Amino acid sequence: MTRLRRLGCVLGVLVVGSWPTGGGAHAQAPNQTSEPNTPIKHFIVLMQENHSFDNYFGTYPGADGIPPGTCMPVDPFDAKNTTCMEPFHIGDYPIEDLDHSESTSNLQYNNGRMDGFIYALNQRNQDGVSAMGYYDDHELGYYWNIADEYVLFDRFFSSASGGSAINHMYWVAGAPGSESGRVPPGGYGDVPTIFDRLEERGISWKFYIENYDPAITFRTVVPGEDFGNRASQIVWVPLLNYDRYLDDPNLFSKIVNLNEYFEDLENGTLPAVSYMVPSGASEHPPGSIRAGERFVKTLIQALMRSDAWSSSVFMWTYDDWGGWYDHVPPPQVDKYGYGFRVPALMVSPYARRGYIDSTELDFTSPLKFIEENWDIEPLAERDARANSIASGLDFSQPPREPFFISFSREPDKLPAEPRRGVIYIAYGAAIVFAVLMIAIVSITDKNGSDQRTTDPKLRKEDAIS
Amino acid sequence: MSAALGLRVWGLSRVGYNTDEAVYAGQAAAIASDPTLKEIFPVFRAHPLLFQFMLALVFHFGVSDLAGRLVAVLIGLATVFVVYLLGKLLYGEKAGMLAALILALMPYHVVVTRQVLLDGPLVFCSTLTLYMLARFALTERPAWLYSAGVGMGLTFLAKETGIILMGAIYAFLALSREIRIRILDIALATILTFLMIVPFPASLLLAGGTRSGKQYLVWQLFRRPNHTWDFYPTTVPVAIGFLVIAAALLGLWFLRRQGTWRERLLVCWILVPVAFFQLWPTKGFQYLLPAAPAFAVLAGRALAHWPPTQVIPPLNRYLSIASFNKLVTGIVAISLLIPSWRAIQPSTTGSYVAGTGGVPGGREAGEWVRENIPQGAKLITIGPSMANILQFYGHRKAYGLSVSPNPLRRNPSYEPVFNPDLQIRTGDLHYIVWDSFSAERSAFFSEGLLKIAEKYNGRVVHVESVMVKLEDGTTVAKPVIVIYEVRP
Repeated sequence: MTRLRRLGCVLGVLVVGSWPTGGGAHAQAPNQTSEPNTPIKHFIVLMQENHSFDNYFGTYPGADGIPPGTCMPVDPFDAKNTTCMEPFHIGDYPIEDLDHSESTSNLQYNNGRMDGFIYALNQRNQDGVSAMGYYDDHELGYYWNIADEYVLFDRFFSSASGGSAINHMYWVAGAPGSESGRVPPGGYGDVPTIFDRLEERGISWKFYIENYDPAITFRTVVPGEDFGNRASQIVWVPLLNYDRYLDDPNLFSKIVNLNEYFEDLENGTLPAVSYMVPSGASEHPPGSIRAGERFVKTLIQALMRSDAWSSSVFMWTYDDWGGWYDHVPPPQVDKYGYGFRVPALMVSPYARRGYIDSTELDFTSPLKFIEENWDIEPLAERDARANSIASGLDFSQPPREPFFISFSREPDKLPAEPRRGVIYIAYGAAIVFAVLMIAIVSITDKNGSDQRTTDPKLRKEDAIS
Repeated sequence: MSAALGLRVWGLSRVGYNTDEAVYAGQAAAIASDPTLKEIFPVFRAHPLLFQFMLALVFHFGVSDLAGRLVAVLIGLATVFVVYLLGKLLYGEKAGMLAALILALMPYHVVVTRQVLLDGPLVFCSTLTLYMLARFALTERPAWLYSAGVGMGLTFLAKETGIILMGAIYAFLALSREIRIRILDIALATILTFLMIVPFPASLLLAGGTRSGKQYLVWQLFRRPNHTWDFYPTTVPVAIGFLVIAAALLGLWFLRRQGTWRERLLVCWILVPVAFFQLWPTKGFQYLLPAAPAFAVLAGRALAHWPPTQVIPPLNRYLSIASFNKLVTGIVAISLLIPSWRAIQPSTTGSYVAGTGGVPGGREAGEWVRENIPQGAKLITIGPSMANILQFYGHRKAYGLSVSPNPLRRNPSYEPVFNPDLQIRTGDLHYIVWDSFSAERSAFFSEGLLKIAEKYNGRVVHVESVMVKLEDGTTVAKPVIVIYEVRP
């Protein structure tokens, strides 16, 4: 080996070694391809905000919803105070943003007794009774209709008992990202994400953000200043807290405005894996949940209209429970969680119809699906152990045709079902009567014909004609 | 009859339904309980359901546009036969044959009886009524008057506008003193007419359609004119045939000395509907069709007795009477055949007059919609015409932008879109369909629709084109229907 060639090898190793592989990223196995193991070529997952399962689907028929007789003690720590509050239908009653910090979660959980939902909020100077409110198909017609047709997961837990930041990290990295569960001042550093893995494998991906502002990153946001509520962009998009995703033009170019989702669908360039987060339509209280439904509806309809539909899975879930009541004690798999259950639904041509999937899942379950579908090694212990959302899919069935689900729970106003028998009898009788009448008159007209040939007046007229 | 059949079935299914055909066939499919179309097309709309009922019997074996049109053709052929009987009854075998030939070749009748329209059955029933009335006049047997009453009821059940021919009957009877008739017989015949009409209100009442019937009546009474006064004078004579009208008029003049109640009957049968619909604000190409058989018989009579005695002597010098007769008949027949042949060819101009045939590209666009657009998707078109076609073939809900939100200004059968912007933003409208035929009639709404398409990221997902001839004779593909996908 010449000196020059040896130098080239050393430089090559250095170049490869300095490539941002995502910290603990694994090298690509030699025989791996980017082809999926199932008919699913496009996986899309959206993260909405702040609702518990019981808050949205607690009264959905067949789901593990609010148990009959539920009455939440106002103060579980005062044995003399037996006052309790039953769950109530919120309807259009205005609501506030309920506290959903880790400490509130712990109080509400109350060591598995699940009886501190009101008390915890009262401790935050909020109206704790609000936690017992729930929505039903009057407000959630679209989601309930989706559940009727596709898959509703009723044991889908938030990954951590904290709020948005840690749960979004579990969503993309299968890990809390930091010891505290918050975004560290210097970003997430080398914590690997699923996008690192996809990048290594040459599998396409994008992170779509509604009303994306590329200027809002962990480097530019000063809490309480500059960007106001828009600062939540860095909480909901963990990638904006990574130096490598901001500095590498290739990676940064894949964090895009949501408009590109529609364009990608139209152009047939939808990537294999799509993550997306909302902005104004997040359903985060006190925001409009109907606006969120319409937002989700638009995304699903666009997918259904595209060529990608027949090989896609679209699912969405909620980053935390938002302070709302849920009756299922979350299994404690490690010191971070699980947190309370959140709603999660899945739409796909391969989704089971009207299926309530009770597999135990969390935010790492979508990662599990991606990893299994594209032969990707797990990112962390959580996603390695997680169950996949594939339990809601049935690949033995032919892909279902796209079908636009109604926004309203009530069926579209159809014309009143007429009594068709009346039409058949009335018009049929008219025709039969007319035919009989004419036939009888014609047959009995022989005399008339005879008269016609003998009547001098008629003969004269005929002659004229 | 073979000429009649040939003209009516040639390329019958080459072009899909127009809006009226789509509506009637959709109604028939709804009566036949077609699982998809019954949720899009209400059974009760504007008219009685005799024809739709007959179509429904066929559609029980499957909804097919060709089957629907074949039913219309059969009824058209039956009308030609009745005209033969009528001509023969009134003026003899030869006149009957010639009248049937004229109707068989007449563009007006050919065009309408190739379509799933109510006017074909209406003309059959009214011509049958005319025949029975003629038999009554001839025999003075009340039974024939009663039969005419029954026929009049059937005419109404085919299309309610046929009721105006009762005016023709009364006018004829009033003007024909030589026909002996008792008031009682007229009353009985009238009662029979109304008895025959009973299925219309009875089914509305008992089968749940009262509301739609009342609304339609109100709308019809107060709607604005849809054509100018010269619509009929400029369209119908061409469709009937100038030579046919000329022959009928010349026959009335030259054979006036041989005139009897027969001509009075036929003239009444022509004048009453013509006068009525000329005054009635709503005008339609096919509305005057009931007068066509009477024209055919009068023209047949003239040709059968041509040339009149006044022109025989000078004519004899050049041509035998028989040869002249055949020549004139041939010229009249060819003058009908050529425009009929042209009329049954698909439009090569990209424009379209309602009632004159199918809408080029409409069926294909609808079938594309059915194959490629998700179920539950909703469309908006310039007007309800294209919406009806897309609903029938596409099995998707479609709205017309031009349908007024004001109930007094719209056909109650149509559902308006109050705020298309909002509906697109909320994901309740998904496709915009522009078509050249509606755009030609309504530039305002065409422009409005295209603005919406532009505003909501309209992306062309399908185009239907027809080959059109330009002024320089070259043929090019002209887009006639364009489907845009829109999103907020």
